[in-house]
Amino acid sequence: MIATNGIKSWFRDALHIFNLELHNVLHDGGVMIIFVAAGFLYPILYNYVYSKGMLEEIPIAVVDRADCADSRRYLREVDATREVQLSYRCMDMEEAKKLFSDRKVNGIIYIPADFGERLARLETATLSIYCDMSSFLYFKNLMMATNFVMLEEVNNIKIERFEMSGLTAQEAEQAVRPIPYEDNNPYNRAFSYSIFLLSAILMLIIQQVMFYGMCLSVGTMREENRSFASLPDTMEGHGVGRVVLGRGLAYWLIFMIIGIYVTCIVPAVFGFPQRGSFGDILLLVSIFVSVCVFFAMTWSTFIVRRESVFILLLFMSPVCVFLTGFSWPTSAFPAFWKYFSYLLPSTFGCQAFINLNTAGADLATVRPLIRALTIQGMVYFALASAAVYVENFVLRNKDRFTAEMERIKAELDSRRTEFRKKRLKKREV
Amino acid sequence: MGFWPKTYAVLQRELRIWVKRPIYLVGTVFVMAFCTIFYLTFLKDGVPADVPIAVVDNDMSSTSRNFCRQLDATQLGRVVYFDTFAEARSAMQNGLVTSICVIPEGFDRDILSQRQPTFSFYINGLYFLGGSLAWKDILMMINLTAGAVQREVLRMKGVSEAMIPGMLRPVDIDVHQIGNATMNYGAYLANMMLPAMLQMVIVIVFIYSLGTELKYGTSRHLLDLTGHDIYAAIIGKMLLYTLLFTIIGWNLQVILYKWCHFPLAGSLGNMMLAMFLMVIACEAIAVTIIGLVPVCRFALSVGALYTVLGLSLTGFTLPIEALPAGIRGLSFMYPLRYYYMFYIKEGIFGTGFAGWYPYVIVLLLFLLAPLICIRRLKHAYIHLDYDRN
Repeated sequence: MIATNGIKSWFRDALHIFNLELHNVLHDGGVMIIFVAAGFLYPILYNYVYSKGMLEEIPIAVVDRADCADSRRYLREVDATREVQLSYRCMDMEEAKKLFSDRKVNGIIYIPADFGERLARLETATLSIYCDMSSFLYFKNLMMATNFVMLEEVNNIKIERFEMSGLTAQEAEQAVRPIPYEDNNPYNRAFSYSIFLLSAILMLIIQQVMFYGMCLSVGTMREENRSFASLPDTMEGHGVGRVVLGRGLAYWLIFMIIGIYVTCIVPAVFGFPQRGSFGDILLLVSIFVSVCVFFAMTWSTFIVRRESVFILLLFMSPVCVFLTGFSWPTSAFPAFWKYFSYLLPSTFGCQAFINLNTAGADLATVRPLIRALTIQGMVYFALASAAVYVENFVLRNKDRFTAEMERIKAELDSRRTEFRKKRLKKREV
Repeated sequence: MGFWPKTYAVLQRELRIWVKRPIYLVGTVFVMAFCTIFYLTFLKDGVPADVPIAVVDNDMSSTSRNFCRQLDATQLGRVVYFDTFAEARSAMQNGLVTSICVIPEGFDRDILSQRQPTFSFYINGLYFLGGSLAWKDILMMINLTAGAVQREVLRMKGVSEAMIPGMLRPVDIDVHQIGNATMNYGAYLANMMLPAMLQMVIVIVFIYSLGTELKYGTSRHLLDLTGHDIYAAIIGKMLLYTLLFTIIGWNLQVILYKWCHFPLAGSLGNMMLAMFLMVIACEAIAVTIIGLVPVCRFALSVGALYTVLGLSLTGFTLPIEALPAGIRGLSFMYPLRYYYMFYIKEGIFGTGFAGWYPYVIVLLLFLLAPLICIRRLKHAYIHLDYDRN
């Protein structure tokens, strides 16, 4: 009987705290702006910014000193690629260099005068390319265009040469491509920048928005001399579990809405690949949001003032992006940063979302990531509870603490005055 | 009291605030130190080595094993063997490997009898860098293997050894990477990420410094100090912050170009000039934001939105040509954009003054931006008639 009463009152208390927190959040304009503006607008904004996602037809200058049939054919084919566009034909390198440093072109193709001659003599002809490394995408485009065309051209030239050395037409054809290859890039066919970046960034938005929002709310309470941890007066007991779960549920509810919007609706609206099943994504989002709630609760304990989170922690967002491992490969992380990345839910959450949603994996495949998220959630739950416990303990014993502090202070003062008196006496002597 | 004594009084007051509230120094010096350590240690390899590549070898012949060994021996790749394609695919979907090579059964036999066995490979393009490096590595290895086969065929036909190289490689491309010859990602990213973080810190901290006056209602005290001269108040604050941020920025540049020896075609002195100009331009942006939105918290939110988007809109990751036309124009709102253009001219091409002077002018023009809202800020400072929180 007592047990059931205890459980009943536990739930009643938790519900009460949940209501209180929800009320607080919904009535705090600043927090709501972060949740709504950042949670709802950032995904749209990022989708729009990266909607093109591809760099096409970058301008290139050409210095064709050979001016032979081969070089002209090569240049025509380079011009026909999607990646580059031959905008300027220059007489000499000086002219091309001028265009290059004026940023009228992002690369130069130089074909030396002996290009045709060397080809005719069955030797290796060399052409030079100069790339602008101010963005690696310029480099990638120029490399792809020139290399693809070169491979194609080389095969044509090779067939001629092989036939010359006594192979039949079919033998030459076979010898030129002894191992035909087939390359597939199933998840991101054209190496689109947007597909790769947005898959990772969507989950990160959930975590960061929740973190900044919760820090803001905790900071406000602290400024108003309330504490996020204290129980309403009507309640009994320590109530750590009730506070953590009750408060957590309020954020969980808000962020499940944002989470579903970010992971299911935004990709659908922007025609982004959605290869995972809805149930799997929903499960991932609910686990991820829960972990984020406890994560944000734990770290927001250290926030004392409302605005300080922006000043102290805004720089963490790009750091989190790098630590998810979708740009710089995880296998190349230095050991310290690898372990550091385990502190963040986004590390596992983003990878799990990329794998589930964009690579079309199933839950069994991403099991290790889900397991890691779960362990992280448990650890952060324990830490959040500990934080509430400590905060409560400090608050309850505040009077005792202050009395003790004053006593120590008084004692120190009296000792100091005694010491001074002694020193004075010594001097007099 | 003249203008300069008034600014000096403000400067002294600001120094006292720094001592009383450590958040200003923590938010600038500590944050930038953390970022510097992070970006320089995280990307210290320059180019990732030993990217995991899955191989499903259905042939198990000497040729296929030789291929795998060679692939493993490259600097870029590390081979991970799988028995079935399903296992390998699951590892790729999990991000554990960047790509899969499938060597078909009878690979060796078919090559020798010139039956052209098809070699398939799959790339995970969702892990951009790892995927594209693996792609490059595998493609190179296939072409080398094909070259070895062709060499054997030509030898059988009695082509002289001297002729063979020309037969196998009729055209060669000589690549020159201007400004980053070793394709060092660390240099490429840290070079711009660190100034980008500095832009973020400057805008946020300076907004906070001006905004707390409103929040705690101390702005009247500040104005009393200068005899209600808002210019003296702001310039006094700016002097101190400019000193702090410029020192941080110059230290950054010395670390990047002198300590880490990242490529710089021009002179460090010119880059330092660009850094100084970027610092004051960012401060002007901060004044404009707090002037337009004289509520500390709102201004900080706007500043956060502005600077975080700046990472995408400056064009050092995705060039602005690849942004949708409607948003391309926004990149001109960022001082960092001009710092980047300056860096391209000075750091990559080494053009000197003739190349970068337009960007100096634009960065200086940023200083005019606060003029549109300085009266509004003064009004808010005196009347404190906006929401404090």
